[in-house]
Amino acid sequence: MTTHLVGLGVLVVVGAVYPLVFPGALTIAIAVLLFAGWATAWDVLGGWNGQVSLGHASFVGLGAYVVAIGASHGIAPWWALPLAAVAAAVLAYGWGWTTFRLRGPYFSLSTIAVAEILRLIAINEGWLTGGATGVFIATLPEPFGIDLFSRTAQFYLALAFAAGVIATVIVVSRIRFGYQLRAVREDEEAAMAAGLDPTGVKLRAFMLSAALTAVGGGLYGMVLAFIEPHVIFSLLLSVQIALTSIIGGRGTVWGPAVGALILVGAGEAFRTTFAQANLLIYGVLILAVVLFVPRGIVGELVRRHVRRRYARRAQS
Amino acid sequence: MTDWVILLQNLANGVLMGGVYALVGVGLTLVFGVMRTINFAHGDFVVLGMYAAVLFNALLGFDPYLSLVIAVPVGFLTGMLVERLVLARIVDAPPESALLATLGISLIIGNAILLTVGGEPRSVQVAYASTTISIGGVHVSMVLLVAGAATVAAIAGLYALLHRTEIGRAIRATAENRLGAELVGIDTRAIHAIVFGLGTMLAVVAGVTLIPLLFATPTNMGAVFTLKAFVVTVLGGLGSVGAAIAGGIVLGVVEVLGASYLASEYREAYGLAAFLLILLFRPEGLFGRTVKRV
Repeated sequence: MTTHLVGLGVLVVVGAVYPLVFPGALTIAIAVLLFAGWATAWDVLGGWNGQVSLGHASFVGLGAYVVAIGASHGIAPWWALPLAAVAAAVLAYGWGWTTFRLRGPYFSLSTIAVAEILRLIAINEGWLTGGATGVFIATLPEPFGIDLFSRTAQFYLALAFAAGVIATVIVVSRIRFGYQLRAVREDEEAAMAAGLDPTGVKLRAFMLSAALTAVGGGLYGMVLAFIEPHVIFSLLLSVQIALTSIIGGRGTVWGPAVGALILVGAGEAFRTTFAQANLLIYGVLILAVVLFVPRGIVGELVRRHVRRRYARRAQS
Repeated sequence: MTDWVILLQNLANGVLMGGVYALVGVGLTLVFGVMRTINFAHGDFVVLGMYAAVLFNALLGFDPYLSLVIAVPVGFLTGMLVERLVLARIVDAPPESALLATLGISLIIGNAILLTVGGEPRSVQVAYASTTISIGGVHVSMVLLVAGAATVAAIAGLYALLHRTEIGRAIRATAENRLGAELVGIDTRAIHAIVFGLGTMLAVVAGVTLIPLLFATPTNMGAVFTLKAFVVTVLGGLGSVGAAIAGGIVLGVVEVLGASYLASEYREAYGLAAFLLILLFRPEGLFGRTVKRV
């Protein structure tokens, strides 16, 4: 627990001074922070609760669209973001209510289908979403004279988002709900025998995960300022979010964040070599992780640390 | 045209598209039936087949269908290799691992094509691409007919292999009970490699058959095909080869009828909605025999 809080403190302090030290590298830092937040939010459902979703781009897209459509109707982002979170939770409730009767790969498959249907709606319902061309965010209000289009302001918002999601997961991992999540992940029948309602637990995990993801999606909308349904609802974004978390380490507090740092960093490093094919690195890394470190990077480190501690305790 | 001719035309299109979907789905369902692995790279193998035909046609100038001579054995060997190098190592891991590994393979194939061939859509120029045959006012596309024939041939061949040969018996035994099959002396590791090879080969055949109709693009298309294949197999019943035909035809007809009688922009969505409904209310598929709920 203390380790996690220290980690969170380090993240906030490093984040606070980062724009002063590297003012030229803000865009990539925003990408790292957004992916860290999304992957950590994904992990609430995918890691702690064991339900692999390949449709989380839906919530990113939903958040971005709520902020963009809100901006065009004069609704400020600080109202639009909570609205996006609520809308995502409601969507997750309906989605989970219909699909949580399915388990394992069947659930993953149904998430792809639902995300595809949402993408088709975003493309075809032009009166609401601007259709296939997408929507622009032309103006944003300036609270206290802060320009929300500036990269520095967006960086701090993304930092607050990532830190907030990680803090949420630290809390969740300690409370009763966190233990329920893990009980359902390990064995649904046993959890049911212990008096839990597995579907209810999964639904709450999905709603929390969706709401958090949508907040990040709203920020992403502000960063992009131009939202295209093909990009924001793409299966690739869903896959990227899931893989970030899995490569970093599912069901760990810091795994998804570390995964985001590694994957966005690697994507950037190979951008010149592979051009648009930089998802190649995701493919290679996920294969390596599945074959050699199935717990993910942080998961493996934690396991080794725990084993060493037990060994030391056994000797003394 | 009178209403019923339009309806017949739509049904004919739907059934023919369904034949294509069935061809894409049958390899996936074979792999799932035997290995219990959902192969996320299946669609990318289809795309690989398309590019094989494109390159064969562009470099050598032969008819794209002739590339099957090379693509079939190469596809089979590629599949076996992938199984040996990747899936065989995680055969006892939780089923999610295989799903993630094939997802990784899918990303690698798509992006490797993007790196080597480039991202612009590619296709082949053949004289018969737009030929149609008219039967009583109903027009059917030549390429779709060929694809339908290929589906029937592939599935008949697969049926003969599974039910008339010793290897087929071993495959069915492995599908039914891996441990039991091992106890009677079947090398299930070899069977898994053969089955994945067959699945990959069927995907490649589907890709070659389809190329005169479609433009091949490296990354997105694989995912689209994988999703179609899932829809087909779930509609018919996961793991049942014969049901893949039925599932494909249901998907084709639902899409075509939905597009012509409801809103055409949502063509893809009708198939997906049918897929979700089937997953929810009949997870064993319309024609699946297993009654166990997932």
